[in-house]
Amino acid sequence: MASETSITTSAAETVPWRAALARHRTKALILLVAVVALAFPAVNGNAGDIDAVANALAFAALALGLNIVVGFAGLLDLGYAAFFAIGAYTYGILASWQLTPAWSSFWAPFAWLDLVQKVTQGNAAVVHFTLSFWIALPLSAAIAAFFGILFGAPTLRLRGDYLAIVTLGFGEIVPIVVRNWSSLTNGAAGLNGVAPPQLFGQSFGVEIVPYYYVAIGIVALLIFVSGRLRDSRIGRAWMALRDDAVAASTAGVDLTRYKLLAFAMGAAFAGMTGTFYIAKLQTATPDMFMFPVSVMILVMIVLGGLGSVWGVVVGAIFLQLLQSWFLPAISSWLHIVGNLIGSPWLQQIQLADAIELIFGIVLVLMMLYRRDGLIPAHRKQGALSFEQQNAQVGESHGFRMSGIVREDSSSVPALEIKGVTVRFGGLVALKSVDITVPAGGVVAVIGPNGSGKSTLFNVITGLTSAESGSIRLFGEEIIGLGPHKIAKKGIARTFQNLRLFTNLTVMDNVLIGQHARLSTGPLGAVLRLPGVRAEERRARERVMEIIGNFGNRLAPRANQNVAALSYANRRRVEISRALASDPRILLLDEPTAGMNPAETFELAQQIKDLHKLGLTVIVIEHKLDVVVRLADTVVVLDHGEKIAEGRPDEVRRNEEVLRAYLGRNAQAGSAGIAA
Amino acid sequence: MSPTALFVQQVINGLSLGGMYALLALGFTLIYGILELINFAHFSVFLWGSFIGMWTLEAFGLNGQSVVLTGLPLIGVLVAAFVASMLFCGILGVVIERYSLRPLRNVTGPMAMITTIGVSYILFNVILLGAGADTKNFPNPLPELRFHILGATLDLRVILIWIVSGALMLGLWFFVQRSRLGKAMRATAQDPDAARMMGVDVDRVILIAFFAGSALAGAAGLIFGLYYNFTSYIIGYTAGLRAFTAAVLGGIGNVPGAMLGGLIIGLIESLGGQFIAVKWTDVIIFSILVLVLVFRPTGLLGTLAPSKS
Amino acid sequence: MLTRRAAGKLIAGAAASTTLVGAGFRPAFAADKVIKIGITLPLTGADAEGANRIKYGALLSIQQANDSGAVKGYTLVPVVLNNATTTAGQYDPAQAATNARKLVSDPDVMAAIGPEMSGDGKAMSAIYSEANFATITPASTNPDITSPKFASEYRPNGGKAVYFRTVTTDALQGPYMANYYADVLKVKSVYILDDSGAYGVGIADTFEARAKEKGIKVLGRDRLDPTEADYTVSLTKIKGMNPDGLYYGGVQGAGTKLVKQAYGVLPQAMPKGGGDGLYAPEMLTAVGFPAAEGWYCTIAAPHLTDNPAVQPFVKLYESTWHTQPDDYAITAYDAGLVITAALASLVDAGKPITRANVREAIQTSHTNTLQGPVAFDENGDIVNKVISVFQIVENKGASLTDMNAQFKYIGTAPTS
Repeated sequence: MASETSITTSAAETVPWRAALARHRTKALILLVAVVALAFPAVNGNAGDIDAVANALAFAALALGLNIVVGFAGLLDLGYAAFFAIGAYTYGILASWQLTPAWSSFWAPFAWLDLVQKVTQGNAAVVHFTLSFWIALPLSAAIAAFFGILFGAPTLRLRGDYLAIVTLGFGEIVPIVVRNWSSLTNGAAGLNGVAPPQLFGQSFGVEIVPYYYVAIGIVALLIFVSGRLRDSRIGRAWMALRDDAVAASTAGVDLTRYKLLAFAMGAAFAGMTGTFYIAKLQTATPDMFMFPVSVMILVMIVLGGLGSVWGVVVGAIFLQLLQSWFLPAISSWLHIVGNLIGSPWLQQIQLADAIELIFGIVLVLMMLYRRDGLIPAHRKQGALSFEQQNAQVGESHGFRMSGIVREDSSSVPALEIKGVTVRFGGLVALKSVDITVPAGGVVAVIGPNGSGKSTLFNVITGLTSAESGSIRLFGEEIIGLGPHKIAKKGIARTFQNLRLFTNLTVMDNVLIGQHARLSTGPLGAVLRLPGVRAEERRARERVMEIIGNFGNRLAPRANQNVAALSYANRRRVEISRALASDPRILLLDEPTAGMNPAETFELAQQIKDLHKLGLTVIVIEHKLDVVVRLADTVVVLDHGEKIAEGRPDEVRRNEEVLRAYLGRNAQAGSAGIAA
Repeated sequence: MSPTALFVQQVINGLSLGGMYALLALGFTLIYGILELINFAHFSVFLWGSFIGMWTLEAFGLNGQSVVLTGLPLIGVLVAAFVASMLFCGILGVVIERYSLRPLRNVTGPMAMITTIGVSYILFNVILLGAGADTKNFPNPLPELRFHILGATLDLRVILIWIVSGALMLGLWFFVQRSRLGKAMRATAQDPDAARMMGVDVDRVILIAFFAGSALAGAAGLIFGLYYNFTSYIIGYTAGLRAFTAAVLGGIGNVPGAMLGGLIIGLIESLGGQFIAVKWTDVIIFSILVLVLVFRPTGLLGTLAPSKS
Repeated sequence: MLTRRAAGKLIAGAAASTTLVGAGFRPAFAADKVIKIGITLPLTGADAEGANRIKYGALLSIQQANDSGAVKGYTLVPVVLNNATTTAGQYDPAQAATNARKLVSDPDVMAAIGPEMSGDGKAMSAIYSEANFATITPASTNPDITSPKFASEYRPNGGKAVYFRTVTTDALQGPYMANYYADVLKVKSVYILDDSGAYGVGIADTFEARAKEKGIKVLGRDRLDPTEADYTVSLTKIKGMNPDGLYYGGVQGAGTKLVKQAYGVLPQAMPKGGGDGLYAPEMLTAVGFPAAEGWYCTIAAPHLTDNPAVQPFVKLYESTWHTQPDDYAITAYDAGLVITAALASLVDAGKPITRANVREAIQTSHTNTLQGPVAFDENGDIVNKVISVFQIVENKGASLTDMNAQFKYIGTAPTS
């Protein structure tokens, strides 16, 4: 969903001034929140209250980090507190007297950098670690990110709940190691004397206000980074991988890299927060980082709104303050009321005792009745105008798309498939299949159900591995490459059962197609330099160009969630996504399925136009009129084997083909198959 | 104690622990198999099972180990306790499914799992607030009988665990594999829509699965109390985590897998504790879990790869 | 429909209203002047049970102080704050620090009782020190908080003690029991267990160090998980090693299960013992006999059994709170007595009631309590260094749950 600070220049804004007002209203709200946050210590001087809010802000930072892993990338992490612990103990150990190794010349450069001090204890010179808080913040983030990758790596091939369980395992292991490794961490007793931060020679000590502002700074930074990532190529890739990992990989998203990036990013947030938390507390015990903490952060982000940056901040602050401030305060009021009306039960009541019960009830009710959270990530889109709702079938100027390279004069075949065999256990899905697709040609693959057509597409795009054989793309061997690499080399596809990113808009869905052609990395996404902005703008223009070919069917809906579109429109979005990757070869798996004859005709014409522009197309189709209209060559598969190949009219009369489709006794009806 | 005796004793210990974990894992895996849902509330149902069992036995006037029964009275009292625990927990499970999980059945994402976390909080806090945080002495009418094998001691209660757990596991296995309802459950587990189209009342099947799984948890809770002679509000936590690990290790959704997983976890706990140290037990268990899942994602016996990604 | 704006308003509104409460909105009915005493304990989660017992002891002493008018012209009002959070599921040092700041910000609060957990204490001590605010802990035993070695961390404000204890630290209880094992029980080899908590690990560590010094062979050291139910693996392992004795550092969470399960596995004649964590009614109610028979435990209370005030206290505690007091409930009650006496002394001497004066009064106090005379050294530690040894011996003539009758006083532990 396009955010409040996105750079959408879409034609879909219905009423321009309303959109501008919405943006300004959002900015005003953010400003208001900022003012309240900054002025809070001045208004409420109570150190206890400020501390409660500072702790709540720390959890808001943690929630933002977990939001990246769970909300953006869809990786259910049940052991997130482990990274919190790692960040905390990194600073705790390196800023206290916990470790005092013997002094040697090895430490001299570190002393010069002020990271350690040489101290005399008894008769020996020892090293005292004095890592500065400000250096520790990014350092802990980096160390935690490293562990994020380390713990995330085993989960890469795991699905859903298994991933959750492995992360839970790591979440259990880390506090146990901390507790048992007492020489490093002082074990269960907890660290002593962790140094508070120093600024301009002044130590923060136990004065709460400076910590509060540091917390505000950290949360503001993390909100900024989260938002920037979310609205960038990185965020899109994460959300694509969350919604449909298979489609994402064939659209060019490197799943491994992005999953690890999500883990690393989330862990980095937690590591940084851990350092802050422990610097404020000046102690740490392993009990602070156990499973209930991981669970609570997960509850916070679900309550706040999974994937919603402000939502998780609100959720975290709300739940923390509920425990440390609101419920005890309500208890005090009830005591006062009890005193006034003389009710001993009210005088003694401690709502805090029942807080876990209240939590459970709140949680269940939220999940049943408002599972999108307090501030959902997806907001309702405005209604379309009457004109926009009515499809105007395109005046046939033909499909316009710039940038297709004409390769139809090339002598090297676009795709050369030789001897490819695919086996699933005992079932042979493809048996030694040979197909040659000439550059710039259109090949239709037909055959009865179960003949291996989709498997063929899967093996070409790297989703399935071949037992033997070779596939050459313009002469280059692609067997063994991962789907995202194959996409990058120029093969794009659609799916028989339609694989869209159901939580994203039309624009974002199609933009994912551009993923492999863009180069913005995480740093670029956060900084959003002019080069990055230009790249995004160009990409969006390209998307509008592509979807504009479908008349006003998709263009007015560019900012709508794809789930709201009609079936045929969703097919068009998928095709647009495939086209957005500037492919050299387009694989269409039953593109007209579910369309009525008029729509089928229109789409077939558009595919023909693409072909005329120079694109190589392979299409799986059941509708023989489409096949005849489009294809130069028809390949017929049956039970994994190629049983016929040739021009459409030849194949139509081929006896083997008829037998395959209609059974042995139906050859007589061959003439009737002609469209 | 000779090294052999020590080893045998630890194996016995491991198998009794394992029996407990297996029983708890069974109900858990049954629910997962049908719904692909990690049900955290399962272990709070287990907690309730032990308290219901305790209250039932106390209603018979049993207190601590002051009264020991044999023969018919013993069997009668135990049967009553089992029926009470299993029935109560089964109904509790049904209520949980019907009112907090069914509305979320088609929602993707962690929502349903988080609901079970909420339900779990509610369940164990009701006990905490109602019955207090202290450890309760659990009535134990079983006579103290000891057998000796190779120098190691085998308690009557250990045998009880094995017999009851084994019987319940076998019963469940036969039910799932042989009965019509069991077949309906397996069909629903593989493809709820297809099952529905074949005339299976999917809602009813799921309710029955929840009933059965929760009843098993209740039985496990009662056995826990009888075996350890205590119960408290916190027993769901670690036993739950280990049982959960056992279910995953064996292959989640797989009934023999839960048994195997339970026994393996129990043995790791006892032999790891003996030869390494008890304080590293959890680290060892979770490391093994991670390794198994990385190299064999479906678990040891599992064939069901979760379709959710 | 909860929009962002509505959520913001909700939070702002709640914040504003609780600010009002924080700003000192007080009931106007009290005729006396009010002194508030903070009570900071982990009242929910894993440590709930012990913490609530402590709270009851503290509340009882405040209640009695008010009833007897001990502090003339003043009513003592307890301010109970929870150091535990649902997030942590147990004691939470961050919440403890928030509570310390809350107390310090409330000008009516003069002193506090608590915390229970040393982890909380480490987070609270420096905050109290800055405000010259005294707290007396009935149960936090980690020596580091009052150690001169860490004075600059835990009492930065002039090194004056603010963290007082009515319980002795691990530095004494563990080693003295090791002395007892060596000299009295003549144990030559021992196996040591802890319950992974800060107290248990601390006391087991100091026991281990002293045991080695005394020549007792430490055959092994392992850790129990209090949330785990089954300790037969550890017990079997210990049986296999055949030590002369067993020492358990920890509280009754793991302790009761250990004692219960040890009964069937370890020889009855083997000396088994623990620290003051085992001086708890659960040893009788949850464990009972014959399992608990013979177990040793220690407390830092030389005259507890002789003190005629103890029995009425126990009766009053039971009738008010419907549960039995354990060792820490007693030390909490005593902490309340110390604070009351300190306040009374200031009032009698005509000195103003300020935090600094209260701290000073506590520092120099000599109070008769259930434990006997209590005074503090310059670090805040309790001066009394006598550790008493008790053994659980079944007294069939008395009620099963009568701790006084079933815990038999053996003597004082040797100091070296």
